[in-house]
Order: sequence, then structure tokens, then C-alpha cells
Amino acid sequence: MAEARISMYLPPDINPTKAAIAYGCRALPKLNEELQSEVLTTRQKALMALCDLMHDPEYVYQAIDIGCLDSLKALLKDINDLVRIKATEVLCIMATHNVGRDGFLEHGIIPALSYLLDDANSICRENLHKAYKHLAQLPSGAQGIVSSGLIPSLVWKLQKEQGAVQELILDTLAYCLQEDATEALGSRVVPFLKQLLLSASDTIRAKAACTLMAVSIPLQGKNQVWEYGVIPILVHLLKDDMDEVQANAAGALTYAAVTTEGKYAALEAEAIDPLLDLLCSPVNKVRLNATKALTMLAEAPEGRRDLQSQVHIFRTLQEETTEVSTRRAAQIAIKVIEWKP
Amino acid sequence: MASAMTDRTSRAGNTYTYTSRPRALPCQRRRYRDSFLQAEEEPVHYGNIMYDRRVIRGNTYALQTGQLAGQPDPLELQRRQQAKRRALARKRAQEQLRPRTPEPVEGRKHVDVQTELYLEEIADRVIEVDMECQTDAFLDRPATPLFIPAKTGKDVNTQILEGELFDFDLEVKPMLEVLVGKTIEQSLLEVMEEEELANLQAMQHAYEEIRNIELAEVQRLEEQERRHREEKERRKHQQWEIVNKHNETSQKIAARAFAQRYLADLLPSVFSSLRDSGYFYDPIERDIEIGFLPWLMNEVEKTMEYCMVGRTVLDMLIREVVERRLNMYENKDKHQSLKPEDMYGGPGTMRDPTVGYDFQEQSLSHTQRPLLDRDDPQRMSYGDPSQERKYMDEGELLGQSEETAIRKSTGKDELQ
Repeated sequence: MAEARISMYLPPDINPTKAAIAYGCRALPKLNEELQSEVLTTRQKALMALCDLMHDPEYVYQAIDIGCLDSLKALLKDINDLVRIKATEVLCIMATHNVGRDGFLEHGIIPALSYLLDDANSICRENLHKAYKHLAQLPSGAQGIVSSGLIPSLVWKLQKEQGAVQELILDTLAYCLQEDATEALGSRVVPFLKQLLLSASDTIRAKAACTLMAVSIPLQGKNQVWEYGVIPILVHLLKDDMDEVQANAAGALTYAAVTTEGKYAALEAEAIDPLLDLLCSPVNKVRLNATKALTMLAEAPEGRRDLQSQVHIFRTLQEETTEVSTRRAAQIAIKVIEWKP
Repeated sequence: MASAMTDRTSRAGNTYTYTSRPRALPCQRRRYRDSFLQAEEEPVHYGNIMYDRRVIRGNTYALQTGQLAGQPDPLELQRRQQAKRRALARKRAQEQLRPRTPEPVEGRKHVDVQTELYLEEIADRVIEVDMECQTDAFLDRPATPLFIPAKTGKDVNTQILEGELFDFDLEVKPMLEVLVGKTIEQSLLEVMEEEELANLQAMQHAYEEIRNIELAEVQRLEEQERRHREEKERRKHQQWEIVNKHNETSQKIAARAFAQRYLADLLPSVFSSLRDSGYFYDPIERDIEIGFLPWLMNEVEKTMEYCMVGRTVLDMLIREVVERRLNMYENKDKHQSLKPEDMYGGPGTMRDPTVGYDFQEQSLSHTQRPLLDRDDPQRMSYGDPSQERKYMDEGELLGQSEETAIRKSTGKDELQ
């Protein structure tokens, strides 16, 4: 009869599509050798086994130590689709670990992956962009992506790709542009984002607004945003249904309205009323960004005049809110509105 | 004894020698219970030779000498043999004492009889019977029938009724508990991890919000600073320009006033100096001056020359006359003092060569202008010195030669 104790070991993992994993510390070196073998099935099975192992950070560290990344780089150029898909998946899982990200930066995986941007297989491209997105969340990773000159190609791809891949690229760009936006601004990212702001999908609108926010942090970005006439669209998005879209649009407006031209463009586009509506939103981020945007607009004399009648809303916001940041933002807003030269 | 012993040993055949360096003998007494350590690892205990049983103490002449280990003691041997004999004897005695079946009566014999229930034939001979068999020539050997051993033993049956072996619900409880517990534990872990991840994400989002807000605030303040600074610069610039203009204007006004004052009498002085220098001229006057007057002067000169000539001639005449008269008077009267004619004659004598030369010149130049008659009334008219001076000035302006100037001055002297 079977025992009533549950074994501490995992059930035996018998999967014919995976290579057998050697015991202990021999697992990864053997897999590395198998990755470099000539036989296709060996390589595929080794990749499947590697995918499973890479969830453990210790294995990731060991893999990078023994140079698995170089064999993976060679496999990225393989003819077989499955090999490429699995190789990109392995790299994607490795990129979720910090050790993996550091290894990427040291071994120059970014240029190797960039050859696959035009790959025919969509899963391959999706994994590739997932890897880039995970890499870009680290500041040094974002710097690495920017310094390898990938931003123009990513921006170009933004136009070409659809759906989930577009969202991934938008996320990657948002992080990278926060590091350094000069290259992206040179490659016409603002018109593309302008188109995406009007797309049908909610998440794409939200992410496009977020990327636009990152774009408009440097001064050149702000000027471009004003030149391409994105500000009226942003004001239109303030009335959107989704909270995320509203919050990001308000944030982008905040940055765009720092310059004088931006301020007046926003005032002309009647931004004050939707922003005042947003102040009553339940989501904190929306309220915060709306407060900041109104603060920017209150720097201009016309804005100040319009907002002086609405100071009481800010006062209630300041007293009622629990978030420290919102309270401070409301305080600053009141101070700016009531400033006399 | 010792020698007997040694004889015995030599008789035994194998010589045995033993040598060793003097060493302290270890004590054989174990101090502790059987330990797990080997005997060598324990510190070797050396026994005190005084307390060793092997060492003979005391005097040795009255000591019982025992045999050596291999040699049996003859006394001991004897004793042992005796003991053996005694044992045998005892055994025989006991044998005899044991009760036996009595001997058979005369004429009878004991016979063995079987008294069990079933008799057994006890025979040496084995009953032999010859049997023979023969298989059928033309038949194959049939298959061996399945060997089903005969049922032996007693048939017993049993039936497990419900609830007899075990109570399923009771027994399954711990198993289920473990299963469900592990599953829930695993799922709880996963949920907690997910929650932690979600918390981390939320914290990241919050941090990003705050960072965005702070960045926006920083940019706004920068922008404000920049605007204020520019405004200040502009106003300062404006103010500076105003002050500059003010200064300039005041300077201009001061300069203007000064210049006006300076120039107030500049104009009259300029005019006067110009007038003095002769830049304002009436054209007719000028014309008269340029055209008419030189001619006039020339004529005047000529006339004067004529006068001079006349005077010179007159002087010569007078001189002649006077000389003659002088000669006459000298001849007559010697204390004739200086006559006014002498005075005239004096300067006239000095003048003579020059005047004579000039007169010749004049006569050469003015032969075409016979103006003697006209000159005379003019000579009369210009008696006043101021007119003389004016003509002199104009004569200077006309650029007459020095000789004529001297002449004029001498003429003036003469007239005076």
C-alpha cells in the first residue's frame, strides 16, 4: 500500500523533449556542451532543459560563469525556428534575474539580440522584446540599450508591430527614454506616439501616454511635443474612461506645460476644466498628476486667473487626502495660484 | 635444581634464548573499563616493580619453587593419575548399582514383543515383486494432464464485512490532511510571493509617481527661476538703459548749455575775426579793392614818384642854388648855419641814389600814365595820416615790394 507520507522530492520529471539533466554541478556544463553540438535534436532538448533550470538564480549565475551566454549567442543565429524561440525564451527568463541582466551587459547580448528584430517568427520577436523590457527596467540596462544605438530601430519597429509586441516595445521605450531621450527624439518618436494615443486599445493608449511622459522630460522633447500638436490630443485623453490613461495623460501634460509655449497651448486647448474634473478621481495617481498639471498651468497669468476661483478644491484636497505626496502637491498648487508678483 | 632444569631444557632439544634491553615494564592492570580507544593510544602505565607479582620478594632460600610453565610437576602428575583411577572406580561402582531386568528364569528366554496398536513386521528382507509394463506401440505419449494436486487440508472461508478492516473516513483523514495541507501551503506560498511581487510593483509605481512629480516640480521651479531671472534681467536692462539715457540726456543738456554759452560769444567773435580777416567782403568793395585800388595806388605811386622826382629835381635845383649861394655866401659870410633846405637836402642826398633809381623805374613803368596833373590835387587831399595808413595797408595787401614800403614811409616822414 502506498505510504501516507508525502515525499520531499518532486515527482520524477520524465519529459522526452527535454535533455536529461546531469546530477549536481555537472548539470550546466553538460548542457553547455550539448548546446554546442551539431545534432539539432540535442540542441533543442538542451534548450528545453535550460529553460527549466534558468528559473533558479543560482543556476543563472553558474550558467553565466561557464559561458553559456556565448553558446546562446551562437544559437540565436540558428536556422531552425524552435531553437531561436527557445534561445530567446531562455534569455528572457535570464533577464528577469539581476545576475542575468548584469551578464547581458557584460557579454554584449544586446547587439546579438538586435539581429533578431526582423525575425519572421512572432514568438521569437515577442520573447526578444520581453527580454529587452526586463533589461530596460534596470537603469544600467536602459543605458546599455541606449548606448548600443537600438532606439531608432525600436521606434521604427513600434510602427510596424502590433498588439502585445507593441505594448512591450512601448514599455521598453518608456524606461529607456527616461535615461536618455535624445536619440529617440531624433528618430521621430513623437509623431508615432501621437498616432498611438488615438489607438483603440486601452493598454496601448495608457502605455503610449506613459512613454510620451518620458519623452517630454528633456527640453527638446517638450518642444517637439508642442510642435507636433500633441497637447490637444492629451487634453482629449483626459476625458478618457481608463484611470491609467487619464493619469498618464495628465503627467505628460505636466511635463509639456513646463515651457511657456506648452502652457499657452494647453490653455488654448482648454485643459483646465478636464483637469479640475480629474481632481475628484478616486485614484491617487490621477489626482496627483492632475494637481501637478494645474500647478504648471497656474504659473501663467491667464491660468492663475482662471484657477483663483477654484482654490477651495485644492484646499479640500489638501485636507482630505491621506497621501503625503498629494497633500504637498496641493499645497504647492495653492501657493502658486495665490502668488502675487 | 637450576642445573637440573637447564639439563632438562637442553634435553628437550630446542634452545630458547631471550634478550632484551633493560626497559620499564608496563603494568598489565587495566585502570578503566573497556574504552573505545585502542590500547596503544592510552598512556602507558608503568607498573611499580616493587608491587609486581612476578618479582620475588623476600628471601629466596626458603621459597617454594614452582615448575616452569611447560613442565608438569611430577607430584601433580601423580595426583592426576590417582584422581583418574578413582573416577573410573566410582563409575564402575555406579554401573553395578543400576537396576536391570532380572535374568530370565531357567528354560525361558526374553523376547521382544510389540505392544503398539498396530503390529509392525520387522524383517530384514525386502519384499520384492516383479512387475512389468509396456507402452502402446503406435500411440503417442499423451500430454501430461495438468497437475492439480489433490486438495488437502481443511476448507476455511472468511468474509470482510464493512467496517471490519478499517474505517475509511478515519484512516483517510490524515492522508487528506497532509495532501490538502501541502497543497494549501504551496498555494499560500505562491500567493504570498505574488502578493509580495504586487507590493513591490505597487511600491515601484508609487516611487515612480513621486519621482515624476518631483521631477515635474523641479522642472517647474527651474522654469520659474529662469523666467524670473530673465524678467529681472530684462528689467535691469531696461532700468540701466533708462539711467543711461537719463545720463546721456543730462550730459547732452549740460554740454548744450555749455556749448551755447561757449559759443554765445563765439559767433560774434567768429564774425568779428572773420570780418577782421576780411572774409566778409562786399563784392563791389572787393572789386574796387582788387581792381581799382591797385591801379589807383599805382597811379598814386606814379604821381608821388613824379612828385618825388619833382622834389628831387627841386632839391637838386635847390641844392645847386644853395651850393651856389653857399659858395657865394661862404665867400661872403661863413656863419651861415643850417638851413631848412639842408635838412631837406640831407635826407634828400641820402635818398637820392635810391630815389633816382626808383624814379627811373617808375618813369619806365608809368610812361603810359601821365597823371602828374591829377596826382597833385590828390596829394593835397590825402593830408591826413589815417588815409595814408589805409592806403598803406592796402598797399601791403597788394603785395608791393619792400622798397616801395620804405619809400612810402620815407614819403610819410617827408610829409610829416
